[in-house]
Amino acid sequence: MDHKKDRREFLQLTGKAGLSTIVGSAAGINLGVFDLAHAQPGKKVSPFRFAMITDSHLYSGEDHKFDRQLEDAVEQVNNMAIKPDFVLYGGDIAQNGTEDQLAKGKKLLAALDTKLVVIPGEHDWYVDMGDAWKGMFGRDYWSFDHKGVHFIGMNSILVPDFWTAKQMSPRQRMEAMEMLEGPIGGLWGVGAEQLDWLKKDVAKLSSDTPIVTFTHSPLWDYYPRWNFQTVDGPQIREILSRFENFTSIHGHVHQTLYNKIGNMTSIGAMSTSWPWPYPPVKLAYPGSQMNRADPGNEVDGMGTLAVNVKAGGSKLVEYQPFADSLTPFLKKGLKA
Amino acid sequence: MRATFKRTLALAIPAAVMAALASGAAQAREPFGKAELDEQNAKLLELVELGYNLWHGSNPDMTSNGLACGNCHPDAGASNPQTFPKYIQNMNRVVQWGEMVNWCIQNPQAGKALGLESKDMTAMYAYAMNLHRGLPIQPGLAAQQTKPIPVKYGKGFPSKPSGIGFDTK
Repeated sequence: MDHKKDRREFLQLTGKAGLSTIVGSAAGINLGVFDLAHAQPGKKVSPFRFAMITDSHLYSGEDHKFDRQLEDAVEQVNNMAIKPDFVLYGGDIAQNGTEDQLAKGKKLLAALDTKLVVIPGEHDWYVDMGDAWKGMFGRDYWSFDHKGVHFIGMNSILVPDFWTAKQMSPRQRMEAMEMLEGPIGGLWGVGAEQLDWLKKDVAKLSSDTPIVTFTHSPLWDYYPRWNFQTVDGPQIREILSRFENFTSIHGHVHQTLYNKIGNMTSIGAMSTSWPWPYPPVKLAYPGSQMNRADPGNEVDGMGTLAVNVKAGGSKLVEYQPFADSLTPFLKKGLKA
Repeated sequence: MRATFKRTLALAIPAAVMAALASGAAQAREPFGKAELDEQNAKLLELVELGYNLWHGSNPDMTSNGLACGNCHPDAGASNPQTFPKYIQNMNRVVQWGEMVNWCIQNPQAGKALGLESKDMTAMYAYAMNLHRGLPIQPGLAAQQTKPIPVKYGKGFPSKPSGIGFDTK
């Protein structure tokens, strides 16, 4: 394939399809993400924009096409007409969880113009149970306030120990978790420690504080066979049920996805690596199912996400596809 | 039209086969017994399991960049063997399923194509078809290309359901 030609066409497409809707009131200057001193959660939300890149699944070695696809995503986010205040990376930087793959991801993401916040995916974790990842990216769950919105990142890919009894090596453990339909690891979630932390983290927030959570997997039971779920999602939703505006943004599904459960609006991001087929589940919002990717276009069905936070905390979420993958429903942007 | 078809058919079938067919009951046999069917099924499932392993990267010749069929096609999803033969735009012709598989091996996976009659290709076909069991056969129907596959449990070969949507292999 002629990648240079593909890349030219891709950049042209990005210009056309990337930002079909722009919220004019978003701030153009990065005022700092971790502005804790001046944040007034729930009192007043200043408009701003943030972006998300996820699921790059980088392999080891030089010049892999997935490296270029992550570079394309970074370039796309850097070229957004209205700069995001920060970029969230939603997990699965690496494919096989090795240090070289994580380091490559960190290096490629360093080309972002804006601040980066990161949560882990299962592909980043199970060689050394997150040691290399934490060494490069810090804590695997965290929160911060930004311009009146409370942001929470959690590690949703933790499974009970299946490896010790089976005397599996770190590599075998990782392989067991690498396969989407792999049966060995079972269902994952955030676990008791993070649930306790979450309760304390939001205890003092007023109910009108807009909440945005970031997890690798969705906080609802979409398709457990592929771990399109978080086993303690119901507990997370319960803890956050008193908030008037609660948006959950996740990766892992490699596809556009929209749902509402209770006070939670849930949005899935496209990957930068490959698209996954939709599982046999009837969607509440069928229009959120992106078009079938053309296998002949190696960047079709992939892209990044932009979230415009408006005054008051409501949001317009826009997919930024690498190719023309969006349905009319998706092109309008998703309200959250 | 019908007569033309009959004439064509008669020409296409060798005389020896016609003779065998004409001899009727003399060439027939008893229906397969349970033991024979079990043995045949066991052979099929053995191949399905080989197909499952190949689908998930067991043959290094099929990739030079680490990608396997299972990266993009979990549970053989969106591989749609029941819709082939069909017209594929990239190739500008009607192809059989194995040719599409080879396209994926040679392009996204940058690997070496399998022989269409090879054991490996038959195994992958057996795996994919097993997961599409029960879906209507609709050759050429592009509209069915995103038909999802309901997998209650198992990967197409016997396994004990765990009750959580995963098998316990």
